Amino acid sequence: MYRFFLWASILICIMLIVPMSVEACPGCKNLDDPIGKGFNWSILFLMAMPFTVFTLIGGTIFLHYRRENR
Amino acid sequence: MAYNNVEIRERRPLSNARLGVLVLLGAETMLFSGLIGTFLVFRIGNVTWPPPSHIGIELPRVVTGINTALLLLSGYTMFQAWRAIRNDKVKQLRNWLLLTGVLGLLFLGVQGSEWVQLIRNGLTLQSGIYGGIFYVLIGCHAVHVLSAVIWVFIVFGLAMAGRFSAERYSGVDTCAIYWIFVVALWPILYVLVYLS
Repeated sequence: MYRFFLWASILICIMLIVPMSVEACPGCKNLDDPIGKGFNWSILFLMAMPFTVFTLIGGTIFLHYRRENR
Repeated sequence: MAYNNVEIRERRPLSNARLGVLVLLGAETMLFSGLIGTFLVFRIGNVTWPPPSHIGIELPRVVTGINTALLLLSGYTMFQAWRAIRNDKVKQLRNWLLLTGVLGLLFLGVQGSEWVQLIRNGLTLQSGIYGGIFYVLIGCHAVHVLSAVIWVFIVFGLAMAGRFSAERYSGVDTCAIYWIFVVALWPILYVLVYLS
């Protein structure tokens, strides 16, 4: 488990150091282009939404169960 | 479940109705996310917004701001309705529900009159991406408010028939969750479409 987190942290650090390789949209690398910017923000927003939805629904279920089992 | 002649009732921490509405809201969130994502592409992708072809068209920011306040107020009244039935105050539930429904109708009425004005000014669904994304995004929300208003009046009818009590109010509960979702969504759309 420790090794997994270590390698995951190293990978995340590399991704943060080299941001060009982790742009949301590979087809819109030129950030000076407004359309590219628009696509990037849109993709980032859409990418975050399923996680937000699952977290909210899962969190609600978890809280209800915890309250009931107290 | 029967166990040694003793009836043990399974208690669910989260009712099926609530879970169902949560899943529905998850789907609704993804629908609106798709529409907002589309809006972001057009909004950020255009240096001038509204586009040059729509330069003379002004969205009614002030009136819509007041309308936003009305809708937020309806969120408060719906919360009061939910609180009333939890305290077994059925008469108060009816009053708050009626007020919520009326505020919802008022919101739709103001928005409808705005649309008539905008169409007269030349902003239509076919007049380009500005009109297209405006009517699709705001219209989709309006359809949701309309369905929420219908739901509120159905719950109001059931409340008039005395179908709810402090022990049994899942109808009010689910309706309130949906209403709060619709209300909470609007300020985001207002800031994005009208103020950005």
